[in-house]
Amino acid sequence: MTSKDVLDVRAKAQREKRRRRIASIIYIAIGIALFFVAWILLAHEKSPWNYDIPPPFGAVGPFQDIFQGVWGIFQGEGAIAHFWRNLGTSQDMKIKFVHACPDLHPANVNNPFRQVISSLMGWKYTAETAIVTGGPAPVPFVQLPDYCYGYGIHLLVTIVRILIGAALGTIAGLAIGLSSLVFPKVAQVFTPIASFFGTAPIFIAAPFFVIWFGVEVPIMTTIGLVTFYTTLLMYFFSRRAAENIPVGIVESALTLGGTPRSIFRWVYLPGTVPEIAGGFRIALAGAWGLGVLVEVLGIQVGGGHLIDIWRFLIGQLQAPSALVALITFYAALAVVVDAILLVIIRYLTRWSEAGRRLGL
Amino acid sequence: MSRVVSFEGLWCVFEHRSGQLVNALHDVNFEVQPGEFVCVVGRSGHGKTTLLRVLAGLQPPTAGQTRLGDSVVEGPGADRAMVFQQDTVFPWLHVRENVEFGLRALKVDDAERERTTAHWLDAVGLTDFADSWPRELSGGMRKRVALASAMAVGSDVILMDEPFGSLDYFTRRNLHDVLLDLWEATQKTIFFVTHDIEEALILADRVILLAEGKLVDDIPVNLPRPRDEDIRASSAAVDITKTILAHLGITEEEATQV
Repeated sequence: MTSKDVLDVRAKAQREKRRRRIASIIYIAIGIALFFVAWILLAHEKSPWNYDIPPPFGAVGPFQDIFQGVWGIFQGEGAIAHFWRNLGTSQDMKIKFVHACPDLHPANVNNPFRQVISSLMGWKYTAETAIVTGGPAPVPFVQLPDYCYGYGIHLLVTIVRILIGAALGTIAGLAIGLSSLVFPKVAQVFTPIASFFGTAPIFIAAPFFVIWFGVEVPIMTTIGLVTFYTTLLMYFFSRRAAENIPVGIVESALTLGGTPRSIFRWVYLPGTVPEIAGGFRIALAGAWGLGVLVEVLGIQVGGGHLIDIWRFLIGQLQAPSALVALITFYAALAVVVDAILLVIIRYLTRWSEAGRRLGL
Repeated sequence: MSRVVSFEGLWCVFEHRSGQLVNALHDVNFEVQPGEFVCVVGRSGHGKTTLLRVLAGLQPPTAGQTRLGDSVVEGPGADRAMVFQQDTVFPWLHVRENVEFGLRALKVDDAERERTTAHWLDAVGLTDFADSWPRELSGGMRKRVALASAMAVGSDVILMDEPFGSLDYFTRRNLHDVLLDLWEATQKTIFFVTHDIEEALILADRVILLAEGKLVDDIPVNLPRPRDEDIRASSAAVDITKTILAHLGITEEEATQV
């Protein structure tokens, strides 16, 4: 084989790699297009669900010229247009809701715990929102900045809380799971606890977290539940990942002079990455649902709370658009985050067969 | 500094789940001088690997002890690096990092670690593959990585548990040459477990024969090196083969039929 042949083979491999990447982008685009086609068909005037499902773009919004008149029966604006219009600040919400800010309540101003939490999270002024349904408004009323009425800040709060919960849970789960390899007593203590709570469906446990932590400290409720759930999952995944490392590899490391520390660093940590990363994907996918669910259950700020509010206001013209928009946002968010995670995981596991197939 | 390896009254008894006791090693006593190449030969399940694992410190004996010089073996250590039958190269580390693993664990400084790693990669012919992933290498090349990793930590004794058993004939022959070159260059003591008599004839100074956990013979292999086909077909070599076969309970006719 001449040098030219080698170069030809390399060039061919590069072309093949490029072709696969372009193909995967096309497949993703086709998937997104199919999603919107299905949505448009379901929302079309001849669809039996026409009254409940708003079109993605609607007769109002950036695509009004194209879609004007197509939607016939549905009178609301398109879900995406609604979402976009209410993202930064929402006049609709400002009119409909009275926002209270317990953080600025005289009783809370000097509460160091709340101050620290609020300051750290940067959410002091987003605080709590409350719905008033005609009765006397909760006290004290504080006029919040306009952005507090928009969807964006609520969704951001949810995302940050869920990511913090997932990160804390991952750290805790990995720390307990991997340390139990070195200290068997940790496993003896933690495994029965994890097994007990692991068998209880976490969605059933969610209301208890709302009761225990209350809606007064929503940070603790959302982050606490997501942390708890992620800790359990990551504990089991890290244990299983470590147990799946072949005994021969660990013994080989021992005979090469490996110390517990070096074996942990160079064997267990990298060797468990594929399974732990897979577990993290599963944990995070569950965490989105869990975080939003706990907000729907009573936490008064966040995307789940918005869903709850619009659920109460289901008779309103904008309600279907708002609900579909919020649900679609969370679905899209989970897909995007998962895709980013997948790329990171593929990089971290480029030494494996999966990495080889991706040409990393 | 090479040291004498001695096995003193070594017993290793395993209890099966059924409650049955199995004597994997049965009062094994022998000594190995520094720089010897010892092949441990025997049938499957007759204690070869157990003997090696006891010496590696991976398996505590039921009675007796193993000594390396004046020290009693009480656990695994870099002075007895082992090359395993299965693939134990770390797949998540590049070839270079695999060879560096033991040196890192031993806290060898960066410059010395790089120098030692480069030396052993060159010695096994893998310099050009230093930055490859193990998955990119053939089975024989991965065995070379394992061999370089074991050599790099500076062990007095290298333990090899049927390391080339899964390789094809030609690759195995090639690795025999590599191993013998390294052994002659370093004069390390090598314990090599095999059930392949031809492999033992190619490599060993001495063959330790195990049957049902007992040391049944200790055969010196005084054949000139390199041991090509002609030497292995010599009457001295054939006599050794016959002795081994007889101990393994296989007659010459049976061996021919096999």
